[in-house]
Amino acid sequence: MASPGGQGGVLSTRGGGATRRMKWALELSLGNTRGRGDRQGAQGDVVYPIGYSEKPVPDTSIQETDKNLVEKRCWDVALGPLKQIPMNLFIMYMSGNTISIFPIMMVCMMAWRPIQALMSMSATFKLLESSSQQWLQGLVYLVGNLLGSALAVYKCQSMGLLPTHSSDWLAFIEPPQRMEIMGGGMVL
Amino acid sequence: MAKLILLLLKCILFCGTVYAVFEDQVGKFDWRQQYVGKVRFCHFDGHMQSSKKVLLATESNVFAALNTRTGEVLWRHVDKTGPEGNIDAFLQNGQDSVLVVGNGRVLRSWETNIGGLNWEVVLDSGSFQSTCLVGQQGTVKNVAVLKKTAISLHYLSNGHQKWIENLPDSDTVDYQTVYSGGNGEVYVLGVVPHSHIAVVAFSVDDGEILKQSSVEAPWLSSIPESCQIVDQEMLICVDSTTMSLYTLDLTLQLQMNQIPLQVKNVYIFLLCGITPNPAKQPLSEFFLQLGPDRYVLLQFNSGQIVMLRDFKPVCNAFSKQHFSILTFRLQNVCYSPRLQYFNASTINLYNAETGRRLLDTTLIFTMDPNGGKPERVTFLKKDDSVGYRVMVQTKDHALTFIQQPGRVLWTREEALSDVLTMEMVDLPLTGTQAELEGEFGKKTDGLMSMVFKRLSSQLILLQAWIAHLWKLFYDARKPRSQVKSDISMENLSRDEFNLQKMMVMVTASGKLFGIDSKTGGILWKHYLENIPSNAGFKLMVQRTTAHFPHPPQCTLLIKDKDTGLASLHVFNPIFGKMSHVTPPALPQPILQSLMLPFMDQDYAKVLLLIDDQYKVSAFPSTKYVLQQLQEMAPTIFFFLVDSSQGRLSGYRLRTDLSTEQIWEVILPTEIQKIVSVKGKRPNEHVHSQGRVMGDRSVLYKYLNPNLLAVVTESTDLHQERSFVGIMLIDGVTGRIIHEAVQRKARGPVHVVHSENWVVYEYWSTKSRRNEFSVIELYEGMELYNSTAFSSLDRPLVPQVLQQSYIFPSSISTMEATLTEKGITSRHLLIGLPSGGIVSLPKMFLDPRRPEMASEQSREENLIPYAPELMIRTEWFINYNQTISRVRGIYTAPSGLESTCLVVAYGLDIYHTRVYPSKQFDVLKDDYDYMLISSVLLALFFATMISKRLAEVKLLNRAWR
Repeated sequence: MASPGGQGGVLSTRGGGATRRMKWALELSLGNTRGRGDRQGAQGDVVYPIGYSEKPVPDTSIQETDKNLVEKRCWDVALGPLKQIPMNLFIMYMSGNTISIFPIMMVCMMAWRPIQALMSMSATFKLLESSSQQWLQGLVYLVGNLLGSALAVYKCQSMGLLPTHSSDWLAFIEPPQRMEIMGGGMVL
Repeated sequence: MAKLILLLLKCILFCGTVYAVFEDQVGKFDWRQQYVGKVRFCHFDGHMQSSKKVLLATESNVFAALNTRTGEVLWRHVDKTGPEGNIDAFLQNGQDSVLVVGNGRVLRSWETNIGGLNWEVVLDSGSFQSTCLVGQQGTVKNVAVLKKTAISLHYLSNGHQKWIENLPDSDTVDYQTVYSGGNGEVYVLGVVPHSHIAVVAFSVDDGEILKQSSVEAPWLSSIPESCQIVDQEMLICVDSTTMSLYTLDLTLQLQMNQIPLQVKNVYIFLLCGITPNPAKQPLSEFFLQLGPDRYVLLQFNSGQIVMLRDFKPVCNAFSKQHFSILTFRLQNVCYSPRLQYFNASTINLYNAETGRRLLDTTLIFTMDPNGGKPERVTFLKKDDSVGYRVMVQTKDHALTFIQQPGRVLWTREEALSDVLTMEMVDLPLTGTQAELEGEFGKKTDGLMSMVFKRLSSQLILLQAWIAHLWKLFYDARKPRSQVKSDISMENLSRDEFNLQKMMVMVTASGKLFGIDSKTGGILWKHYLENIPSNAGFKLMVQRTTAHFPHPPQCTLLIKDKDTGLASLHVFNPIFGKMSHVTPPALPQPILQSLMLPFMDQDYAKVLLLIDDQYKVSAFPSTKYVLQQLQEMAPTIFFFLVDSSQGRLSGYRLRTDLSTEQIWEVILPTEIQKIVSVKGKRPNEHVHSQGRVMGDRSVLYKYLNPNLLAVVTESTDLHQERSFVGIMLIDGVTGRIIHEAVQRKARGPVHVVHSENWVVYEYWSTKSRRNEFSVIELYEGMELYNSTAFSSLDRPLVPQVLQQSYIFPSSISTMEATLTEKGITSRHLLIGLPSGGIVSLPKMFLDPRRPEMASEQSREENLIPYAPELMIRTEWFINYNQTISRVRGIYTAPSGLESTCLVVAYGLDIYHTRVYPSKQFDVLKDDYDYMLISSVLLALFFATMISKRLAEVKLLNRAWR
């Protein structure tokens, strides 16, 4: 009654218990890699399904460049800073003019981002290299960042952080030198 | 149960009060010393065997008890200043002290154990003459007070008046002495000068005149000066022209018996009697002073006068009041201090009845060589003991208490109750620090030697550090009580933040003191002899301690106001020694002195002295200084204020050291008199040149270093017409910059002039209150010249703002705080007559305070104007340490910008630190060093451990 095929292709002697080593075993399914000690088999000797090629087949359809798409992508990059300005304006309005930790953080962020962007101008230009309107886009990007930093400066100004008043330089005024020596008092 | 609740309540209450006064800070930065003043009357409290008190009545109108063991004040009663509180007489009976105060205005009795008032009665008006205790049958029950026209008798127990009687013929007879011998009669002795003595005897019981007579005495002018009652109602008078004694029996009152004296070459006659007990008769022995240092003890024996002993005390320590209070009980002893050699004194006790010296009573003690000569001696000898105690008062107002084998128990420097002027001088650096400083101070000489110098000084520093460590280690093993860091001359050195300084104090008695500001201990004292009683002093620091190896130098200008002649005392303020620099002789009267900001080659600032010919002499006057003076002369100006003539005048120095008057302002003395003139302090720094407005523009301050605030008061004191005037004058050009008059106001005016403001206080007669007024000067929104200030080139008139406020208390004195760089906000220190010192922020006295708060004024932190100034209790810098009669407050900057050192002097001396802007540059006292450092350490170790763990983990992962 008990046929080896009926048991799913696994032949085993019964009565040996789970712990006992099987005398011999035949594994038919290759995907089942539960055995220990045969890791190599699982990674190295993989048998791929039919039609699967290990080397990528070059895609001939991507080779043709969609100029419009590139242009669009480059304009996205160039207009990025300008698009942020309304958002910044909103944040500015919301944070108010009081000097506390939160508005200061906002202002720092607003000022730092355009500066960072301007510092990495060359990288951005490399990104825009493929575009035909590279120079225009670069200019727009620059203007956008400058506007962003101007906004930050304006915010600093409205918060009173810029030393634009004479009172900001008061501490640096040296006491005037005394030209005459004077003394005296009540007749002793 | 109720008791328990009560106890709990008390506990809570007391805990609360303790928290309120910052108990842990009491006495940490501040100290107070209490004084009583120059002693006028002095009694040992001898009625109880165990009593340890000496009672003093002083010329500062103070009645006090001192502990004889320690010299501390047990209790003290400070009366009004001036003649109103003057103590005329002091009688001691048992544990009651009877005082006559204010020229016979009040009779008071004090309980001496705790210093409580028994009773006080106001006497009828009349000039006080004399007082005495009246005894009857061995007990003292009454006190008699003699006035010009009447005599009154009061009960000692409650002060009630027993009787008052008018004196007969009081318009012609000058009644001077009252005497009672304890037999039911009170004798009043009066004199018609150069004519006769009037003797009136009253009955103690009802004031009835028992006897009245007059005895011829054409040679007599004053009874207290030349007469004394001895034995049994026997009046003895001395006549210095005929060199004879006169005796008069008061009970018989027949005539005076003349007894010629067998003495030659005498010029002083002074009689001193000995009264052992007010209830009994005086002894039959008495003293006669024959010369400044010669006394004889005489005995009156049934009409005969016998000489018992001849004394020759070297120092004149006898005085008349002395002998009436001197002897104690029946052990009749007297004394004679004699100066044996330079500064050792001996005191001997003699038996007054026989004139013999008592055995084992010689007492030898050394006097302070920097003190004055002995002036007065008081002693206490108990019946059953051999030993005795002596209190010696010297001419420099010091009290020295001596126990028998010449041991000085304590010394009190009562001269400090009358400090006139003071300065605070930085302490010198330690030897090692000075070594380092000296390296840079000397002239440079080659690279190699500089390197060697540097190396050697570093070596010395290392050595000192190791020595310090060793000392720390050595001290750690000793018990804590023995390790006492007492300040002495040797270990005087500047501390880290220059908070400890030397206070140089000049007192009215002519004694100079050097006091350590940290502990209040007197480090040196120097008594200047022959100081006239009404001398004017001016103390100046010529060289600070910053110029090692030159010693610091202070100069005291002493001017005799009668003759106008002045002298200079040059000394080292740290050690009190006379400087080796010889001060110049000043043959001409000196009007003023002027300290110039430039120094001679020895780093001493140049002092200019202006004499009455308006010629100037310099001190030190080396060639270098004179050359410098010639160069600087066109920029040196000075002003003189003559209050008696109402004249302010400005002078310019010429190159030949003569002067030229350039301006003069006359204030007519019939209308107003100049009360005070205040310039700015020369060591004051102003950090900020302007004030920031609400719109962030700047209002620049008018910081004229030559500005003077002249305060005048009207001579007319009628409350409708009196006024107080203040004038701001430029001291160089004489230009009047501002003038303000406060109508219906009266002095005394207290002024503080600093930076660009003047604050003054006066009494408003119209509203009957004290008012403060503040004037501030501003240049405007632009500076005229930001680099140099010259009074000769100031075309623009400053803007003047003024505001007044009501102050709830009268004030005694006022001063502003002072800090190193002038960054810290200013406070006004106001001494109140109640003994408190209020630190009032200048912010409250700001003429820019608006009536209505606006956006801009809020931005500027201006408080809206309110006419009343409050005194908040937390503004009292001396919490409960009352300072009696504050006369002056001295402020000095410390090395910390936040801290200002304050000394208040008057009857007491108080020193503390104030922090007008809180201690922004110092960690707090209760700063948790342990917590912070343990957290830091824990974090450090946590980092180390976690780093290690992270490494292990990485390694493990790499292995996997």
